[in-house]
Amino acid sequence: MATTATPLPSGQRPNVATAAVRFPAVKDYEQVDREIGGTLGPSLGWFAALGIAILCMLIGATTWTYQIHEGLGAAGYHPPVMWGVYIITFVFWVGIGHAGTLISAILYLFRAGFRTSIYRVSEAMTVFAVMTAGLFPILHLGRPWKFFWLIPYPNWRLIWPNPKSPLVWDVFAILTYLTISSTFLYIGLIPDIAILRDREKNPIRKAILAQLSLGWRNSDREWRHFTRAYLFLAAFATPLVLSVHSVVSFDFAMALTPGWHATIFPPYFVAGAIFSGIGMVFTIAIPLRKAFKLEHYITLNDLDAAAKLCLFTSCVVGLAYLTEFQVAWMSGNKYEQDYFWNRVFGQWAWAAWIMLICNMVLPMSLWSQKLRRNPKWLFILSLFINLGMWFERFVIVVPSLSHEFEPWQWGTYRPTWVDYGILLGSFGWFFMWFLLFIKQLPVMAMAEIKEVLLPRLKVQFNHSHDLPEGIDFPDETGKVH
Amino acid sequence: MQGVLGAFRELDSAVHAIEDLKKERVGDITVYTPTPRHEFDHAMGHPPSKVRLFTLIFGLAGVTFGYWIPVWISDYWPLVVGGKAIATWVPFTILGFEVMVLIGGLATVFAMFGFAGIPRLTTTVGYDARFSHGHFGVWVATEADRAEDAMTILKKHGAEEVRRER
Repeated sequence: MATTATPLPSGQRPNVATAAVRFPAVKDYEQVDREIGGTLGPSLGWFAALGIAILCMLIGATTWTYQIHEGLGAAGYHPPVMWGVYIITFVFWVGIGHAGTLISAILYLFRAGFRTSIYRVSEAMTVFAVMTAGLFPILHLGRPWKFFWLIPYPNWRLIWPNPKSPLVWDVFAILTYLTISSTFLYIGLIPDIAILRDREKNPIRKAILAQLSLGWRNSDREWRHFTRAYLFLAAFATPLVLSVHSVVSFDFAMALTPGWHATIFPPYFVAGAIFSGIGMVFTIAIPLRKAFKLEHYITLNDLDAAAKLCLFTSCVVGLAYLTEFQVAWMSGNKYEQDYFWNRVFGQWAWAAWIMLICNMVLPMSLWSQKLRRNPKWLFILSLFINLGMWFERFVIVVPSLSHEFEPWQWGTYRPTWVDYGILLGSFGWFFMWFLLFIKQLPVMAMAEIKEVLLPRLKVQFNHSHDLPEGIDFPDETGKVH
Repeated sequence: MQGVLGAFRELDSAVHAIEDLKKERVGDITVYTPTPRHEFDHAMGHPPSKVRLFTLIFGLAGVTFGYWIPVWISDYWPLVVGGKAIATWVPFTILGFEVMVLIGGLATVFAMFGFAGIPRLTTTVGYDARFSHGHFGVWVATEADRAEDAMTILKKHGAEEVRRER
């Protein structure tokens, strides 16, 4: 099957509003249940992928055990760089966790059609990414078993955490985000779990699904309150997305360190988080689409729309990079100027150029409609985006700490095998949960896809008025719908 | 609970059956639909969900509590830095906002559970597994003397199956 569809003729835009255009190859509700429900059977490839993920996670767990035994010095921390791979990877995973709620909540409020087919994958990605991110501040502690001291509760010491500290803000923001994202994922899953419950033949599995579905019956009463609650949750989750990564950026911006103390950090971090999250959505959704034969659900139009969002956020991130340089240049502050000069031409230039090329230059290819509609290119680009966004956080953390005000303070940073082992373990942890998820619960919102389809009617209406001229477009096979 | 259950393959047939059942006042009607449809909302004529009230009330309670926590902590263990105020509302807005979202969001979900009547222990009476796939269901909770009327209306509008349940 060809993977690149013919671009639309000049001046024509796909209309994603109608069932016939959104899902041309999906005919009825039963087909949705059969095809998406059919993705749940485990396969050899899935077992192999799960095995690799568990192996990576075990490497990370073993490395952490070694670090607990040896002390935090086993990682590559060395004055002046006392924040390294762990904080970089923490910010990286929190960023990944943002696109899920963005796609799910913000695009829901804006009624963006392409959300339907990819939001379940994105929401699951969010929850597992935040679960992964949450490990890193604990990994970063010298005594990780004392992590709960950050939670404000009346303990025996009668000492409370300082509510003016960005680290305490982080605890509130990340825990709220994890709770609301998990709730949002679960609430959206309830009608789909009920579908699985009604299809299930195995009595034990049916009983478990019945419990998980909370006895959902698809009644008008349930739907009426469900749709309202979902809307309000989306309305809450939308500013939450913006707040959480702003709070993460305050971990840096509240310090006086050159390169960190900037008011642009919150929007810069939010745009970067959305950009990296969309990159990870492509990394996950494109192979899933192929492996589960779901090309007629995650259509080229959906990928095209998501790629436009990716392009937009790349432009915002690129603008933020350039603005940082401009502000340093115009500030008259020699420490800022020296830091930014050092960033692109000094000790860490290689990392900065990886960041700039992956995040600013390569995504410009998405101005081409042909490339936006090419899943192979989107997948390759997404790998570069993931790499570039990890290096963005590297460039923020390491060069600033290694090149502060006084030359005698300057130093370098070399991660050790412990850092790399835990970094690998975090990917294993994330993909282990994700792979378990996709074989237990549907990767697409079946009830919501049905909402887009036309229901069966006794009296057939002429829906041609929904299809204005100029909306014909080809699918991956080149067939025009 | 006893009544009559009708299973429809077509949306418009189910809507017309509901309109007739309401006109004849046969009994309380519940509709089952695989996906939310405005056609049923119009036919049933229910008022808007009250979930929003809980969202508002608990959101306001959350923001109040979210400000109160850091103010109380700061007052309980004062850390005077650079002569700044003990209770500073700007950084506390972050905690106020996060707690508002947390409590408001969770209250919205629990209100939805309460209004929708879930979790439910059993789905058997007045329900059919087809209603989560592609069929539309109409359940009329009615006494035995009106059950025949309900069955007649459901059959007239083309119900694929009509049965009594209790």
